[in-house]
Amino acid sequence: MRASSLLSEGLAVLRKEITSELRSRVALNAIVLFAVTTLVTVAYQIGPYRIHEDDRPHLLSALLWIILFFAAMSGLSRVFVKEEDARTGKTLRLAARPGAVLLGKLLFNLMLTLALETVVVPLYCGLMGLAVRSPGGLALLLLGGGVALSASATIVAAIIARASGSGTLFTILSVPLILPLLVILIQGTGAAVTADGLSPVLPALRAIVSLAGVTLVASFYLFPVVWND
Amino acid sequence: MSATTVEFEGIGKRFGSRAVLAQVSGVLRPGAVLVVSGPNGSGKSTLLNILAGVLRPSRGAVTYREGGGTVPRRLWFERIGVAAPDMAVYDELTAHENLAFLARLRGLRSTREQAAELLDSLGLPAREHDRAVGTYSSGMRQRVKIAQAVIHAPRVLMLDEPSSNLDAAGHEAVAALVREYRGRAAVVVATNDPREAAWGDARIELAL
Repeated sequence: MRASSLLSEGLAVLRKEITSELRSRVALNAIVLFAVTTLVTVAYQIGPYRIHEDDRPHLLSALLWIILFFAAMSGLSRVFVKEEDARTGKTLRLAARPGAVLLGKLLFNLMLTLALETVVVPLYCGLMGLAVRSPGGLALLLLGGGVALSASATIVAAIIARASGSGTLFTILSVPLILPLLVILIQGTGAAVTADGLSPVLPALRAIVSLAGVTLVASFYLFPVVWND
Repeated sequence: MSATTVEFEGIGKRFGSRAVLAQVSGVLRPGAVLVVSGPNGSGKSTLLNILAGVLRPSRGAVTYREGGGTVPRRLWFERIGVAAPDMAVYDELTAHENLAFLARLRGLRSTREQAAELLDSLGLPAREHDRAVGTYSSGMRQRVKIAQAVIHAPRVLMLDEPSSNLDAAGHEAVAALVREYRGRAAVVVATNDPREAAWGDARIELAL
C-alpha cells in the first residue's frame, strides 16, 4: 500500500524540520547564544596563555567538548518536545512510520551539531591558540562525535518529550549516556592536538563509532515503543 | 482497494483510578457514519483515540478487517484520517506546505492543484493557501486540520468535533465532506452538536 521508502519519508521530516527551524529559529538561537557566551567567557578568562604548556592539550580539549556538548544540548532537546507543545505530535504519529520520524529528527539534530562544530571549533582554536597537529584526526572525531552525540540526544529527547519538567529530565537522562562518549572524545581530541597522523586518534575513533552504532541500533528498536505508547 | 471495517468489543479505559470508558462495543462499517455522542468527559475523544490506535484500551479489543483478514495494528495509521481538537498542523508552514508534507509522509505525490482544490472545497480562500498557518484564525486552522485528515483519501475517517470553530459555511463544507466519504469509507464522528449528530446512520451514546 505504501509506495515511499523510509528514507524518503525521513527526508520529508528533515525538510519540514529545516523549514520550521529557519522560520522560528528556536533551536538555532539557543545553540548560538550558548556557544557564543561560553566561548567568549572562556576566551576572556583563560585565553591562550593562562594554562601551562603541558596541561594545554587535555584542558583545552575538555573545555572544547564541554562548550560543544552544552551548546548542542540546549537546542537538540527540543526536537520532540516542540511537537508535543504544539500538539503536532499526534498528527505526526498518525501520518508517519516511527522509523521515518526518528530518521528525520536524527538527521536534523546531526545537521545542527555539525554546523555548531564547524563554527565553534575554528573560533575556539583561534581564540585559545590551540594548534592541532592532526587536523584530519580531529575532523574525524568531530564527525563521529557529532553522530554519536546527535543519536544519544535524539533518543533521550524522544523519551522525555511527553514528561513534565522535560528540560531537567533531559539533562539527567543524557549524562549517563553521553558521559563515556565525552570522556573518549576529550582523550581523542587531546591525542589529535599532540600527535601527528591518524594513528593516535584511532582507538578513540573506534570506541566512538562503536558507541554511535550501538546507540543508533538501540534507538531504532526502542523508538517505536517510546513514540507510540 | 478493499474496504476496511473496524470492530470494537468491550472497550474500557482507565486513567489511574478513574474509569473513562466501560464496555463500549460497536462497528464502523464502510459506507456508514457512526456518531459517538455524550456529555463532556464521557470519553468520546478517548474512544476515537483507541480506535485510531493512538491509545491502548485497558480492556477489550479493536480489530481492523479487510477482505476477510485482519490488519496489523502497525498498519492502521495508513488507513485512517483523523481530525481532533488535540491535534494541530504546523504553525510555521503554510497550508500548502502542511498538506504537501503530510502527503509525502504517506507516500503520495499530492499536486499543488489537488491540495488547492481540497482547501477550496473546505472554504479556505486561495489567497490564504500560502500564508503561515500560525497567522490563521481558529476556523481557518480547523479547515486545514480537516484537509490533512483526508489528503490521502482514507478508508476510515475519524472526526472529533469537526465543526468546532467553524462558521455556518464551514459547517456545511464539513457536512458535504462527510456525505462524500459516506459513500466510500467508514466514518465516525464524535460530537455534541445536534447538527453533526444528524449525519449518523448509527449512534453510540456514552454516559458519565
